[in-house]
Amino acid sequence: MARRWLDYKTGAWVQWCPGCGDFGILNAIYGALAELDIDPARLVVVGGIGCSSRSVYYIKGSNVHTVHGRAIPVASGIKLANPELTVIVTGGDGDLLGIGGNHFTALGRRNIDIAIFIYDNAVYGLTKGQAGPTLPLWVKTKALTHPNIQGNVNPLLLAFAAGYTFIARGYAYHVNQLRGLVKAAILHKGSAVVDILQPCPTYNDFMTQEWYEKRIYYLSDEDPSWDPVIRSPEDVKVKAPRILEKMLETGDRIPLGVFLQDLTKETMEERLDKVMPGYLKTPPAKRPIDVKGRIPLHPFRIFKDKLLET
Amino acid sequence: MTGLTVDLNIIIGGPQGGGVESAGQIALKVFTLKGYNIIGTREYHSNIMGAHSYFHIRVSDNTPRALRLPVESLVAVDAESLLTHVNDVAKGGIVVYDVGSVDQNALTLAPMEHSLKKRIEKMFSERGARPTVSEAIKLLEERGVRTLGLPLKELLRKTSEETGALLASIARAVNIMGLSAALHVLGVEFPYIVKAVEAQFGKRPKILAPNIAAARIAVEYAREKYGSGNTLPDGPHKGRVRMIATGNEIVAMAKIVGGLTFESFYPITPSSDEAHYIEENKYLDVGGDFKEAGLDKLSIVTLQTEDEIAAIGMALGAALAGARASTTTSGPGFSLMNEFISMAVEAEIPIVISLWMRAGPSTGIATRTGQQDLLHAIFSGHGDTPKIVIASGDHVEAFYDTIKAMNWAEKFQTPVIHLLDKYLASTSVSLDEWDLDPSLVEIDRGKRVYGPVKDYKRYEITEDGISPMAPLGFNTMIINSLEHDEYGFVSEDPIDREAMVLKRVRKFETISKSIPETEKAVLHGDPEARVTIVSFGSTKQAILSAVEELGREGVKVNFLQIRVLSPFPKDLVSKVLGRAEKVVSVEANATGQLAFLVRAHTGHSVNHVIQKLNARPLYDVDVVYGVKRIIESGVERVVVSSGS
Repeated sequence: MARRWLDYKTGAWVQWCPGCGDFGILNAIYGALAELDIDPARLVVVGGIGCSSRSVYYIKGSNVHTVHGRAIPVASGIKLANPELTVIVTGGDGDLLGIGGNHFTALGRRNIDIAIFIYDNAVYGLTKGQAGPTLPLWVKTKALTHPNIQGNVNPLLLAFAAGYTFIARGYAYHVNQLRGLVKAAILHKGSAVVDILQPCPTYNDFMTQEWYEKRIYYLSDEDPSWDPVIRSPEDVKVKAPRILEKMLETGDRIPLGVFLQDLTKETMEERLDKVMPGYLKTPPAKRPIDVKGRIPLHPFRIFKDKLLET
Repeated sequence: MTGLTVDLNIIIGGPQGGGVESAGQIALKVFTLKGYNIIGTREYHSNIMGAHSYFHIRVSDNTPRALRLPVESLVAVDAESLLTHVNDVAKGGIVVYDVGSVDQNALTLAPMEHSLKKRIEKMFSERGARPTVSEAIKLLEERGVRTLGLPLKELLRKTSEETGALLASIARAVNIMGLSAALHVLGVEFPYIVKAVEAQFGKRPKILAPNIAAARIAVEYAREKYGSGNTLPDGPHKGRVRMIATGNEIVAMAKIVGGLTFESFYPITPSSDEAHYIEENKYLDVGGDFKEAGLDKLSIVTLQTEDEIAAIGMALGAALAGARASTTTSGPGFSLMNEFISMAVEAEIPIVISLWMRAGPSTGIATRTGQQDLLHAIFSGHGDTPKIVIASGDHVEAFYDTIKAMNWAEKFQTPVIHLLDKYLASTSVSLDEWDLDPSLVEIDRGKRVYGPVKDYKRYEITEDGISPMAPLGFNTMIINSLEHDEYGFVSEDPIDREAMVLKRVRKFETISKSIPETEKAVLHGDPEARVTIVSFGSTKQAILSAVEELGREGVKVNFLQIRVLSPFPKDLVSKVLGRAEKVVSVEANATGQLAFLVRAHTGHSVNHVIQKLNARPLYDVDVVYGVKRIIESGVERVVVSSGS
């Protein structure tokens, strides 16, 4: 019997504030996992630190709660050691794009088959509402004593420049649409990122539900012919200008949906299997390293370039 | 050279990137082919091309333990090498130089360090001379050093004419020429040089022919000018297959045979060559038993990451999934790894960190050696983070320690920091098949469970503090960097917290009990000696050599080598130090880190310390000098300064 969303829910008390966008995201993830019928024991949710990273307690999986900003390297190591596992990362904009920004860009270059879900509320919630890397310049939320004097990063453009092969934006309170994006990101073979806009009712009194809902719209609603899929190198040239234009659209109108899905790039796992045929069959987590505790190898029989017959 | 015992010491100098490295490797091969044991280290600047670098080699029919100064032979085909090492040559030694360099003056050598120029200028001005190569030759000859000037420009032209190789393309052959001439004077027969050059350049036939021609032309010139002396007899180690490898390579080999399946790293001197050697050998044909187990290829994922944080983070992720994983780094990178080391302790993740120490603080001198990260390694990571720290004394120890470290990491689900240094990293030694014998060690992965477990508790409270570890992907669970309950679920509950802290404490006690004291520390030499040297890491062989030398002079000294620095062998160290009248620590750091550790664990004060602070390797002469000074004057601290 196929799994239902309840099969992914743990017994843990979800300790987010009432009205938090995280609830919508969590429900969308439950729904996507159920539709994909993923075995929780074969699912690895990796979190950094922050409200959103606590998703590792609420989603049934073989999960890892890491340290601040470092979910991506740990997730990458897990996936490369055992590519059969489904690996997803949950984190906030501060965790993934602030302290973890270096890892965020590096993952795009590697195209490891991992899905990144950015719970993007533009503030640091757990530490009482400091400005996150996606908070626009000069915005003063109620938690800030002064307007923000640092500009905001555009997660989609950053992901595009880094080489992510699936880039989407969703909205936390649109659980149905978000479920579709989460599912597509998990299904996508390669590094996928979904930037999920979400109000933080406790600390961000500027980017509220009302503020978002006045601005958001879906790319495919506005343009039924919207096709972000790159099937050949030529497609990039044709589609990139429109994709970038939409990624750059901010302010009064904020587009949602899949901005890019590039099917032309091989994943890191495929690259490794190309360099070392058999890697996918016996990846690092599964390769025998001994024969009944013994080491059946000797350096003099392996490292012949270092030998000299005297 | 005395009697039948061969003990030859050679320095080959030249500008970085100019062929010195190849010449050094060829010299190592020549003497290994001749049947001798060798040790050779590379000293170089943090520079790609042009700065002075040199190869320092010791050749012996015994096991040459450490490098020795002064040397019997200096190959200095450029002015900077000759002027830099003018005081490193023993009476009766031989210096080979380029006659075309005689007018060069230290003060006009662009790459030479300013302070060195000033020292050389002062030394020569005291003799009323200018700091030139010709004055240096004069000085050497006065000191009873033989000199052999090669007209390198002419000899190169001859090589070019004979082989048809372009002059510009064989400019580097000057090193081979200088070396070959020196080898002739030392009594090495030409066919050995040919064989070594072939072994070095065999894969590059275009380079091979001109280099062999260059060697022959240089030897012919030396024979004509200098005649032929006694032939160097063959050494006792001829007639078998031998290995020449650096410390970096030995550790890489040990990781590969010891079951490593994942290494992530960020480039940093002097650790990178270890990762590169793994990368070179990441996909190996295997036969024998592994083949029977259905495996024909041995693959290792090696990945260069965006920084050292990611390097250790990825290795931790791989370890959680079930891979045998490690990372490799040096001081600056290790600093970045601290938060993940702390996580590895809290979340109980196996990981080996090979820490190749170099001279700090900060960027310090990236390409020179030191032992300044001992306390950093032990105390790395915030919040009560005991871990295993093991230090290797030489190449053979490094081989077994690497495998041991990987076993311990998995058995005890803990970070293991393997302390090594730049000296070991870039020092080559000759080895025999029995020196590196993996059948002497077993693979032990500890309490691992594969497959679903009912009500699985990743952090189950146990008596020995070790819980069964299931790789990710078999059970729902939480691996946690936050304090947690037995299931890994986050918990701030005071009872849970205390129980988990005490579990980790018990685990460390288990580690301490499981590793015998005699494996943690080794007393070398006469247990009754009045003076005891304590040290750790790559100082081992220089100290052993010095202890012998002192013994010959009637000074009885023994040497307590601390192999495992954490958990510390406090009983054994207490016992040994309790018997000693004088305790001397030997370490390449300014703050007396080992002395501090000994005092902290045993209450024994280490009253004397010999410190090497110039970022050069420790020589046996340093230790001999230091111990004598301490015995004669009772001084607390002796700073020893040999090395160029």
